[in-house]
Amino acid sequence: MKSHLSRFLRTPLVKTLAFGALALTVGYSLAQQFVGPQTKPHTPDQAAGQTKGGGFKPERMKNPNLFPHPPRMTVTAPSEIPLDRIKVPAGFQVELWAHGMPGVRMMTRGSKGTIWAGTRIIGRVYEIKDKGATREHRILAEKLTQPNGVAFQGGNLYVMAINRVFRYDGIEDNPNVKPMELTAQFKLPPLVHHNWKFIAFGPDSRLYVQVGAPCNICEPTEEYAQIRRYVADGSNMEVVARGVRNTVGFDFHPQTGELWFTDNGRDWMSDNGPQDELNRVSRMGQNFGFPYCHAQGVPDLDYPKKDPCKGVTLPVALMGPHAGALGMRFYSGAMFPKDYVNSIFVARRGSWNRNVQFGYDVANVRATADGRNAKVTPFMTGFLDPKSNQFWGRPVDVLQLPDGSLLVSDEQNGAIYRVSYKK
Amino acid sequence: MPRLDTARRLGVRRRAVLLGGVLMLAASSVCAQSKADPNRGAAKAIACAACHGTPERPPLAGMPTLAGQQEQFLVLQMFLMREGLRDVPQMAGTLKDFSDRDLDDVAAYYASQKPPRGEGGGNPKLRASGAARAKGMACGSCHLGDYSGQRQVPRIAGQREDYLASTMKAYRDNKRVGTDTSMNGLLYQVSDGDIEALAHYLAHH
Repeated sequence: MKSHLSRFLRTPLVKTLAFGALALTVGYSLAQQFVGPQTKPHTPDQAAGQTKGGGFKPERMKNPNLFPHPPRMTVTAPSEIPLDRIKVPAGFQVELWAHGMPGVRMMTRGSKGTIWAGTRIIGRVYEIKDKGATREHRILAEKLTQPNGVAFQGGNLYVMAINRVFRYDGIEDNPNVKPMELTAQFKLPPLVHHNWKFIAFGPDSRLYVQVGAPCNICEPTEEYAQIRRYVADGSNMEVVARGVRNTVGFDFHPQTGELWFTDNGRDWMSDNGPQDELNRVSRMGQNFGFPYCHAQGVPDLDYPKKDPCKGVTLPVALMGPHAGALGMRFYSGAMFPKDYVNSIFVARRGSWNRNVQFGYDVANVRATADGRNAKVTPFMTGFLDPKSNQFWGRPVDVLQLPDGSLLVSDEQNGAIYRVSYKK
Repeated sequence: MPRLDTARRLGVRRRAVLLGGVLMLAASSVCAQSKADPNRGAAKAIACAACHGTPERPPLAGMPTLAGQQEQFLVLQMFLMREGLRDVPQMAGTLKDFSDRDLDDVAAYYASQKPPRGEGGGNPKLRASGAARAKGMACGSCHLGDYSGQRQVPRIAGQREDYLASTMKAYRDNKRVGTDTSMNGLLYQVSDGDIEALAHYLAHH
């Protein structure tokens, strides 16, 4: 298999394609990557230390009237999705794989090929079956409080809303199984802001769970701003990482098994940051800085403290200002060119707390297994029109299929795209 | 195809952008003209009047005034209540048989009405305290300087004081769902006293 592949990679056609891909990638980098000034460390504003109400300081922004983009909760027809505007490097193709699922977000896959996807405000969990030429979906659960978290292990589907946890045993064999409620065992804290869960099983078979900061910026009580892991039944909770503002995506390195996660930077400090982060956990209980130290060592303006970054693990990569770096997975497939193996695809949902929109793409990150030499390159773009500052799509998660192609969910259009590569 | 109509109207593509010096402000005022029919909405809104009042009659205690409210805010909130995502039993009952188009038309009807005028007066000390708090928390950033709101962000100027206070407490205490959790986050650790001052100030604004 390997020698077959290397022989294949030496053919002139493949070389041309690979060069094209490289040229396009570089082109996109220049066009799409954040080239503005890096966020400079600020002098802490002493008076602002008393700030409550989430450090909400519009006067620091170029446009003081920014507010989150409203959600879209009604169905988008395929004819309204401008697939031809999506750009990927040469050799890659994008198809509309599934649609008609308003608010579709985080995805997981069953061992028999079923895909499940969570949502936020619309409160649904979708189940998607691949029927060959088409996909069919049904609403598996509804009226939940932001059931963003879905994960699959041992034939069972786990669904996590902000305040409730369910397990669907053997669901691929028994589609009408009644879920078992595990809410009492997991003891999730009650506050909702930044607590729509991302969940995933680690190589240790533990369930890793996001618990965000219930504010933009604050000194939250100790059960917040962290990543935890549990035995799958909700027992033996351990804190894996602290000082995590809001991670909505993580995965485990294919070689080291270490946890890597995205984290969203705070709002209302400046247009240019602090930037979102890509982090690596190399030992249990590491501190990632919230609320005192952001991004590459930027002290907070509203919660100043002496040596704010002391003992803080700085990120592997900066993912851009207010970019909304969410779902991320390592690539381990055989379909994409070999140099994508062990790289990371990161869905960037796109900014709202910024005058000029940023993100609205899927980025590819390459770094060594110990987190050095990270390079961020936009991979799947075209959801944002920089000229008009308007977006039409918001990528939120990525998921690799067994054939090595990549699913990308688009919350804005209730759609899932499939990215493939033709050799 | 009422569902698609709503989707289009709520879509971001139509949001126009004005260039003004270094500021680029999303200008809801130049949004594409709504296709919703306020006259049709007026007929449907008979079901709303008993609690929410009419131009001649104020709403019942604890009920919000809807006159002059932001159209997109109304559509989204009615959608959430109809679908059981925001749990208001009496509204779910009323909206049960409303189509997406009905929601659009009712929202257009209320949005076309003259907004309530702040009652003025009130307790000067409480107003001043609320004004300082509103400034400190920058309510005017999303709700705009005159608190008239924009898109999914509601008009809060001149709203009923009891309704404003109970809504803010409900957000803080996780008993109220919005189209996102911004208000839940902003009101984290804000005291009852501060909320009451804010409500007094905004109701009289």
